[in-house]
Amino acid sequence: MKLSINNEVHDVEADGDTPLLWVIRDNLGLTGTKYGCGLAQCGACSVMVDGVVTRSCVTPIDSVEGREITTIEAIENDPVGKRVVEKWVEYQVPQCGYCQSGQVMAATALLRETQNPTEDDVAAAMVNLCRCGTYNAIHAAVKDLAGEKGGA
Amino acid sequence: MTNNKDNRPVTREDFPSGAPVNISRRRFLLASAGATAGALVLGFGLPIGPARAAQGSEQITPGTRVPAFLEIRPDNTIRLQSPFVEGGQGVFTAMAQIVGEELDADPESFVVEVAPAGSDYLLINNKIRITGGSNSVRSSYSTMRKLGASARLMLLQAAAGRLNVPIAQLKTEPGYVINTSSGEKVSYGSLAKDALDLSVPDGNSVELRDPSTFRWIGKPLKRLDILDKSTGKAIYSIDCTVEGMVQAAVQHAPRLGLDVGRILNEADVSAMKGVMSVHRLPGAVAVVAERWWNAKIAAEALQVEWVKRDDKDAKYRYMPDDFSSAAFSDRLANEESKGITAEEEGDVNSALSDAATVVEATYRNQFLHHGQLEPPSTLARFNEDGSLDIWMPNQAPEQFQSTIAKITGLEASQINIHSPMLGGFFGRHFLYPEANPFPQAIQLAKEVGRPVKVIWSREEEFLRDPLRPMAAVRFRGGLDADGMPVAIEAISATEGPTESLTGHNPDSLDPLALEGLTGKTYAIADRRIAQVYVKTPAMLAYWRSVGHSMNDFFYETFLDELADKGSQDPYELRLKLLKDNKRLTHLLKAVGELSGGWKRGPFTAEDGTTRARGVGMASPFGSETAAIAEVSMKNGQVIVHDIWEAIDPGSIVNPAIIEAQVKSAAALGLSQILMEEVIYEKGEPAARNYDLYPILRPDQMPNVHVRVVESGAKMGGVGEPGLPPVLPAVANAVSTLTGQRVREMPLRKLRLES
Amino acid sequence: MKKSLLTVLGVIVVGAAGAAWIATRAPSSSFDAVAASGAPSDDLLAHGEYVARLADCVACHTTPEGKPFAGGLKMGTPLGAIFTTNITPDPETGIGNYSLADFDRAIRHGVAADGHRLYPAMPYPSYEKMSDDDVKALYAYFMSDVEPVVQANKASEIEWPLNMRWPLAFWNVVFTDGGVYQAKTSKDEMWNRGAYLVQGPGHCGSCHTPRGVVMNEKALDESGPEYLSGAVLDGWYAPSLRNDPNVGLGRWSEDDIYAYLKNGRNQHGVVFGSMVEAFNNSTQFMTDNDLKSIAHYLKSLPANAESTDVAWSYDPATADDLSKDVADNVPGARTYAANCAFCHGRDGRGKNEWIPPLAGVSSMLTPQAESAINVTLNGSMRVVSNGVPDAYRMPPYREHLSDQQMADVLTYARSAWGNTGDAVTAEEVAKLRSHTDPASIDVIILQMR
Ligand code: FES
Ligand code: FES
Repeated sequence: MKLSINNEVHDVEADGDTPLLWVIRDNLGLTGTKYGCGLAQCGACSVMVDGVVTRSCVTPIDSVEGREITTIEAIENDPVGKRVVEKWVEYQVPQCGYCQSGQVMAATALLRETQNPTEDDVAAAMVNLCRCGTYNAIHAAVKDLAGEKGGA
Repeated sequence: MTNNKDNRPVTREDFPSGAPVNISRRRFLLASAGATAGALVLGFGLPIGPARAAQGSEQITPGTRVPAFLEIRPDNTIRLQSPFVEGGQGVFTAMAQIVGEELDADPESFVVEVAPAGSDYLLINNKIRITGGSNSVRSSYSTMRKLGASARLMLLQAAAGRLNVPIAQLKTEPGYVINTSSGEKVSYGSLAKDALDLSVPDGNSVELRDPSTFRWIGKPLKRLDILDKSTGKAIYSIDCTVEGMVQAAVQHAPRLGLDVGRILNEADVSAMKGVMSVHRLPGAVAVVAERWWNAKIAAEALQVEWVKRDDKDAKYRYMPDDFSSAAFSDRLANEESKGITAEEEGDVNSALSDAATVVEATYRNQFLHHGQLEPPSTLARFNEDGSLDIWMPNQAPEQFQSTIAKITGLEASQINIHSPMLGGFFGRHFLYPEANPFPQAIQLAKEVGRPVKVIWSREEEFLRDPLRPMAAVRFRGGLDADGMPVAIEAISATEGPTESLTGHNPDSLDPLALEGLTGKTYAIADRRIAQVYVKTPAMLAYWRSVGHSMNDFFYETFLDELADKGSQDPYELRLKLLKDNKRLTHLLKAVGELSGGWKRGPFTAEDGTTRARGVGMASPFGSETAAIAEVSMKNGQVIVHDIWEAIDPGSIVNPAIIEAQVKSAAALGLSQILMEEVIYEKGEPAARNYDLYPILRPDQMPNVHVRVVESGAKMGGVGEPGLPPVLPAVANAVSTLTGQRVREMPLRKLRLES
Repeated sequence: MKKSLLTVLGVIVVGAAGAAWIATRAPSSSFDAVAASGAPSDDLLAHGEYVARLADCVACHTTPEGKPFAGGLKMGTPLGAIFTTNITPDPETGIGNYSLADFDRAIRHGVAADGHRLYPAMPYPSYEKMSDDDVKALYAYFMSDVEPVVQANKASEIEWPLNMRWPLAFWNVVFTDGGVYQAKTSKDEMWNRGAYLVQGPGHCGSCHTPRGVVMNEKALDESGPEYLSGAVLDGWYAPSLRNDPNVGLGRWSEDDIYAYLKNGRNQHGVVFGSMVEAFNNSTQFMTDNDLKSIAHYLKSLPANAESTDVAWSYDPATADDLSKDVADNVPGARTYAANCAFCHGRDGRGKNEWIPPLAGVSSMLTPQAESAINVTLNGSMRVVSNGVPDAYRMPPYREHLSDQQMADVLTYARSAWGNTGDAVTAEEVAKLRSHTDPASIDVIILQMR
């Protein structure tokens, strides 16, 4: 099966129902995308599929054939993603960092879709769990990003 | 089953050697630690080799041998072997700040990784090393300063030799030695090789910086690991990879104390896609495959008949098949014994009989999961020379090393413990019987003759995660005619985490069982704190803030109950009870001020909701904390809007990290008081994932406002102290709002009407 | 339910007092005169095992922890719990002393060897249609291939007077069809095989046919307009298997039905609720020919009598709405986005056949919301196909969503993407919440040997 990940087409040998998460991590060695629950509960495995945030642990690979998958490894190639990462550093968001690939993905997808998201938009989009409780910092960073006009 | 897929005998070629195949050196450095990493480093400055070679052969004073900690490279970057593991608490940055301050090197030029196991790193009382107990910085602060200063002196000496000038003529600026008369600059990197040949000066004789001239200590420096963690580059155990590695998934027995009997479909599962082999482990079955996903599905598919485990010297607890957490809580609450006294002042019995009012109540709590987001994993590789490299989440490398030595029969020096970043820990990654995957990885690596990485699925993790202890505390409190508390007795039926692991000693108490009931500084003349030891059928663990994670909730909510009975305002009452304690009075006033002035409520907020505030305090891990919480209710659910928290850790290294840690601890505390609860029925946990074990979500997170108070007292801990006062602050606010005392956690269990 | 049942039973009892002989008479068996024969052939045993699969005996008579067919499964009924019985050939506690005729009386007539009447939780009104050959083979299988297990049966928790079983005889007189399936000459062989399987051993009507006041299935074959027209049982709504475009199989092809029963999934959905057990233990083991026959027969059934449905068609507007202002104003939309959309998609279309769509599925179109509520509260059991567990499971949301939130999100999903299900109320959710438990996450393969 052919999967386009970070603008590169990979020939992947795996069953169609294999979760995208494990293909990304094991077959392709891109370990920035994390496994937390495998059940769409935590968001650590978030990637973007055609720019939409997607939980890769519940995404069978045959459902994303022919679509463009972006993982955290390529986040800085995306102009919005790059700004998100900068703010993540500015606000010193991560603690253990394990959830943060997913958080950055969720924020990037939100801002790609809605340049100036409202408080409600942010609340609806930023739903990934963080056991270290970095929610205040995430919120501050996203709010800052949301306030900027004319994002990419 | 010691055969690989095609049944050929295991040969030498099956043992891959060489370094992990992680791509960049940067990533590699993050991924691993110790000697293996050293082999990849090109420019040697101060090698770390001797640290391992010397292990055990001579008496080492931990924290003194500069080469075991520092490598200064030609490009002037500095590699620091941290004695402590980074799991989000910012200890790598703090270590770089402390060492950099005295070494005179910008913390930003540091690359920090976890030191291998070895006696050089046993910094806590020169005996042990753990990353826990909020101990890292406070236990190593002066040692690491001296270490930095010694290294600086060595560089100065080397420069003096090189430039042929007296040392007095030299000074340093970050990363350089300067000849004050000529203005010549020599980089640390270029001096490192010479410095290496010098003997390490006695740390006690080197001069330390005057704290008033600190440039980095005490400043809110940015953390060193943030960019990597924001871009997916940080490497955790679960990410580690070595050449020739295969992966394994397990299915645990539903209860501890069961073993594998018949496997009904072993042939079918062996034939499943990608499956290499099926294995029997103590209390578990495992499947090995090239890809973890294939192993996981196959491990789940195994139909196992579990039989009673024949294990006479088991260190773990057999889980009875009728264990019910609810019934156990009732059992604790119905204990009647007076218990063994842990702390006593005056005569509580006569004080109570003289009291104008006596208040009695029983308080309870729940079992908890650690719920760290990274599920446990271990990668084990046996090398050709018989040594073992092992990558795993751990808070205590030497403890794991000596256990592995026992399991494998290897010498400690043959076991290289790699301690990658922790995807959260909160007490999860200590050595707990049957709760860490490393014995499985070791056995499997032996059986398949290749490096094996075992990953526990979340479901398998929640089946084996040892629990935060449960208690029921019977309180009696006495009030005088003015409503002031004059006597308090707390008898806790519980078991402490340490006695659960090392065995209960009837003649001594586990101080961690009662901390937070003990150690209170309120001026209540007659008091008695006691424990009734009740053995818990489940395995227990340390959990962020340990005994304080429950005991301050008990004490501080009962204190509010006393305040209510005595018609006292709970904040004012605390001020009165602390009036002779300057530090705590100051702290309590600081948090009151931070919240805009104490107001209890109920009051109507701007958005029309009815709200109330509560206060709580704690003295955990050598620090002092106080919190105020503001809550409202919606559809019977508690909403926490704001938390104001003040912390006084005595003296500080990085205020930004402290603030972040307090917020983090507050979030975990809130998660506990609002919703978390491990429920066991028939010996099995009801929840095996976050679906039935919800943890705090972003939309439930209040604004947490932090004030760091630096009283100058002895340095205390930072990672855990933020947690304990949040629980009673929230519970007391809810009681004020609902008029209903909260005597148990979590709040979601209670039917609360506002 | 309990009250009305009492009344009706009372009427039956009084009215039939003069005919007491009915109650005590053991029904005759076509095997009454048949003498015990010698050792069964391998073919007969294999046939018998297959019939056991068709009839899904294991699902009720085996517990995950227990030995095959030793019984002990607790079944909730409106009257109280009953426990399934030991049907291993142990002479004391099982059916070891049963003659073929005794066995037949139990299977097809609901009377145990000692003369006591079985509760109709045992689907003997359906099994009555099984052929002599099948019953004979099944008997041989149980006697020879099933391990005898000593395990005493548990008494039911039904209280007096409803625990008196003899009135069931009258129930049988009124509500069983009386006879083995008779092929319809007007229909082809495939149709007849399908009808036989569906009505007889497959006992599909036990769940999918609505029941009358005394728990009787309202029809036992296609001659009744309510046959397989959908029913609520045990907290689940088993949808219509008739040809309604929305609440039934109208939009499914015979191939779709075949794939569903064979693999547990197709483009329209994945088995969930109690259908998981039927799939895990029974339908996936049926031969292709039998599955195709079932599909063929079901597709011959007309739509529900009262069906006035306009066929559902996909409305893409919802997916767009979700990300925009509407989401702010439609209760449940945000909850959907945060909890459901990661798997079922903002577009409600699921992910290929691995994660089912919510757009256009019967649970989102039927007036009855039990299945939608139940699966959201409690998740679903693991689907085990060919020994391999599913990659994705529906988690329970009972600890995440309040009654109101769940009602809102289901109301949203049942009206999104062109769905036409009725709104769900918090009370409905609360009611189901109080007497259901989360589905087990264990991979349960009930063993037949
Ligand atoms: S791992 Fe995918 S959501 Fe948790
Ligand atoms: S930073 Fe640790 S889980 Fe979010």
